Amino acid sequence: MDQTFTIDDEEIDGIPVVSASGEIDVATAPPLRDRLQALSSSGKPTVVVNLLGVTFLDSTALGVLVGALKRCRETGGDLPLVIDEPRILRVFEITGLTGVFSIFGSVKAAVQSVRCT
Amino acid sequence: MTERKTGTISVDLSIPVQADLVVLARLAAATLASRAGFGVEDIEDLRLAVEELCLSLVGSREHGRLHLSYECEGDAIEVACWYEDDHAVDSARLVRADDLSLRILDALVDEHGRGLRDGRAGAWLRKRRSDRVV
Repeated sequence: MDQTFTIDDEEIDGIPVVSASGEIDVATAPPLRDRLQALSSSGKPTVVVNLLGVTFLDSTALGVLVGALKRCRETGGDLPLVIDEPRILRVFEITGLTGVFSIFGSVKAAVQSVRCT
Repeated sequence: MTERKTGTISVDLSIPVQADLVVLARLAAATLASRAGFGVEDIEDLRLAVEELCLSLVGSREHGRLHLSYECEGDAIEVACWYEDDHAVDSARLVRADDLSLRILDALVDEHGRGLRDGRAGAWLRKRRSDRVV
């Protein structure tokens, strides 16, 4: 299990995609928060957050994502998440956040959903 | 680590309140759970629960220490955690736990609680090994 935390940025069809991998916890969530805030401040209303490489996620990480979602929606955008690991999805389920976020199984599906809105 | 009697293992850990050291608390939990025969899913649940237990005591604090006591007996692991600071008043202050932390704890462990013990803010959890096969 690779626990090294990394954040990568790319644009797919003009949609910013932030890919995180490793463990997102109280120590590593702040850089993710800063990256999402920077994108929001630069006028990107919608950002896809790819969590396919994430192996652990705690309430601090959830708080960062909820805060980013709020900022996106305030500017008419969204923060679709990409998750395919049941263990990570379960954290969203038990906290009732599956009904709050748009969650997709692949980056392609998430980007397509943004392009269709 | 202390093995008090056959089947009972006790581990104590003390870490500074520092974001990048909380990983030690969940690593100890995972190691103990693995040794106790917990399955992969139970170990992952316990790792996350211990993380939330620590976060529920730390809040926005950036000083002091967390003391953790792990006890494994039979098919259950109990983890107690308390906060200590040089200032007795702060040690006895129970910060408001994040709602997300409490929801995660509710879902992942059999029992958990928090309160003051010997003048220090503390929290505990108990998780039994499930029959889930992974």
